[in-house]
Amino acid sequence: MNCFPSLLAAGDSGISVLVTFLIYILGVFFIAWASNRLLKGKNFLSEYFLGSRGLGVWAFALTLAATSSSGGSFMGFPSKIYTHGWSLGLWIGSYMVVPICVMGILGKRINQVARISSSITVPDILRDRFRSVAFGLIAVSLIVFFMTFNLVAQFKGGSEILRTLLGPIEAFGTAASGLPDWMAGMTTQGNEYLLCLLVFGIAVIVYTTYGGFHAVVWTDVMQGVVMVVGVVIMLPLAIHQAGKVVQESHPEIASQASSKLESVTRQMATMQPPARGTATFKQVHSNATDKPLLVPSGSWIFSSPEGENPERLFKVAKSFQLAKGTSSFVNEDSNGNGKLDEGEDTNGNKALDPEIWEIVDPADRAQVRRRLKEGKETNDLSDAFVLTDITVHNYAYGAKRTVDSDGDGTISTSEKGHEGSYVTGPGPHRDKNDGFLPLSLAISFFFMWAISGTGQPSNMVRLMAFKDTPTLRRSIFTVAIYYSMIYFPLVIIFCCARVLIPGMESEPDRIMPQMAIELTRNVGMGWMAGLLIAAPFAAVMSTVDSFLLMISSALVRDIYQRNVNPEATEKKIKKLSYLFTMLVGLGALLGAMRPPEFLQDIIVYTGSGLASCFLAAVVYSLFWPRSNAAGCIAAMLSGFGAHLSLYLVGFLQGTGFAPYRLLGMDPVVMGLIVSFLVGYVVTICTEAPPVDLVRKYFCKTTSEQD
Amino acid sequence: MSENDQKSADVVELEYDSFFLHARREAIIIFLSWVVAFLWAVPYCYNYGYSIENPAEIPTTFGIPSWLLWGIAMPWLVADIFTTWFCFRYMKDGELGKASDEEMDPAASEVAEATP
Repeated sequence: MNCFPSLLAAGDSGISVLVTFLIYILGVFFIAWASNRLLKGKNFLSEYFLGSRGLGVWAFALTLAATSSSGGSFMGFPSKIYTHGWSLGLWIGSYMVVPICVMGILGKRINQVARISSSITVPDILRDRFRSVAFGLIAVSLIVFFMTFNLVAQFKGGSEILRTLLGPIEAFGTAASGLPDWMAGMTTQGNEYLLCLLVFGIAVIVYTTYGGFHAVVWTDVMQGVVMVVGVVIMLPLAIHQAGKVVQESHPEIASQASSKLESVTRQMATMQPPARGTATFKQVHSNATDKPLLVPSGSWIFSSPEGENPERLFKVAKSFQLAKGTSSFVNEDSNGNGKLDEGEDTNGNKALDPEIWEIVDPADRAQVRRRLKEGKETNDLSDAFVLTDITVHNYAYGAKRTVDSDGDGTISTSEKGHEGSYVTGPGPHRDKNDGFLPLSLAISFFFMWAISGTGQPSNMVRLMAFKDTPTLRRSIFTVAIYYSMIYFPLVIIFCCARVLIPGMESEPDRIMPQMAIELTRNVGMGWMAGLLIAAPFAAVMSTVDSFLLMISSALVRDIYQRNVNPEATEKKIKKLSYLFTMLVGLGALLGAMRPPEFLQDIIVYTGSGLASCFLAAVVYSLFWPRSNAAGCIAAMLSGFGAHLSLYLVGFLQGTGFAPYRLLGMDPVVMGLIVSFLVGYVVTICTEAPPVDLVRKYFCKTTSEQD
Repeated sequence: MSENDQKSADVVELEYDSFFLHARREAIIIFLSWVVAFLWAVPYCYNYGYSIENPAEIPTTFGIPSWLLWGIAMPWLVADIFTTWFCFRYMKDGELGKASDEEMDPAASEVAEATP
């Protein structure tokens, strides 16, 4: 269907992906089994949802690191680096202080307060800290609201990643097409997606339900190790191979550079982003066969419309089919079936203008030609088609300035524009005139990763589970080193990918697996691709299992045990915990079969929304003895309201799920500011808390209390 | 519960637990470290990385654009050194206490040590 499968089919990578995946799943189930043994002889709820507050350094550090690194870190982040260049270094910059902020600000106190109140969940803490049932219920409602949306989105993300990994394997394609019709009809996303969703969803639900918190933590550890090993292997390979490409294609650049990485950067400084558009495809020889002709996504076409020189290079973004005996095209729907397009070409014939990307950079064109020659790219359709009626649009920021000098609709470029956008801020952007990362967004993201990360309830739960303060100290150090080994090296690796593999803007989410295959195959170690490709799958799995457990703990502990039936026996709680974890997982799985629109936006919305609701309330409750229930509830609800209202304004302005950015800032900044201010004002305007409550949480050590 | 316990915290002089005071001081210092990182990284990168006259001659250090190396990569290294100092020299250990659910069965703890 595209160049990615054919790449895999060419080597042994397809088999290694499958073998790696199976070993990985077996490992996960073994951990779930071992974790289930730990449940015996312990307080079930505390063990199942909080690991009996006994996490050591490696478990605590890596579960926190892996949960924070969702699939976005290994799919979305690389695709952003590839698309926008070195400016991603600033975008991710606040990760230099994320470990110490996320773990160090709240860690000690939230763990201590959770022990004083014997709390198992975040709503538990808020409820007991202020003796307010209402506060606990508000917190539970917000967690369930945000997490449910997020869980559906993460399930979809996990399935998409698995489809990317397993798509090239023939047995997988056969299994997907063999799904019964009644099952295929349950989703709008196609058979392959459905099969991946079932495999991914059932695996996560089973091991999380059976093993509980310890299974989640130890699979996180395994996943964390997979991620860092993947990056450590890729970094030197990427620099070496990209440097070699520059040396061969631009010896004048390479000779002036003192290192391979410098030559990559200097080549990037000359690069231009591609242009996106459409064209009418005319087949050189009419399709006289019985079967429709498939034009796979990722196909390349060198074309010289009206004898233009030099040749222009185009890449087909999505696969489509040419109907038998005609020159008209049918689009491919999500199930891989043909569907007639409604458009007409200039002669009135039924025709389609498929999405194409024009590679405008000469160095990129030369590299594509070289890769086609070496067999690293397939599907050169230059002899089969000519393109007419080409309409392309340059990037809004980052391309050389476009000039229609003679007013005839043809595009030429001037020498002045936003040259060098891949090596300077704000980075190129297809639609935004102010580029990828204008100053206001750079500020927002510096705020978001460190401060908003501190306010995530999924991180707070982990902070309640470490066993002692030396564990916390060593874990902060471990995560700091871990993030240093992952995030900035990823920026380097995928800047190198720009030089190595041109034209991936048409399918940027595939850059991670594509790069893994490219790097390992070039050194004759295709089998290693399986390990590298497992990293994004591991990342999304470790996020999903944590969210799953958070929702079920909210339902079982915060709603059922604390409000409906406080006298419930441990046996009943145990059954309900298993049942709710499984039901929540199955619910998310069903939701992901027909996922809502704006899924990626929903993930962003829920992450920043949770921080806007929880950070101020939790900070006040842990560090301000004068804080009270009214102030903290106000902080929580005002944060929720401020954040939501900016999304509503954006929606009313017709931007879909994109929020209104007041002063150019992300809504989380405004949400947090409003939340802290309102919380403070309401607290000092209302009655101080009773002194016994303050004594309990601020004046005595827990050992004295006991 | 004594009569004093029912009073508002506003009218009673309280002596806070040293563990809480240490944790609060550490949280403030950590937040200030974020402020310092922010005040260095964003203005530096904006000043030196957003208006480069001739990108083809962009200054690089170790192959990385210099604005990014001095704006992000080096501060990242400094942040790691600070984190190491903070974790092993500054942060105070203390007793977290025991929750009511932490009664351990000796047999169960053996299983816990034997498995990952």
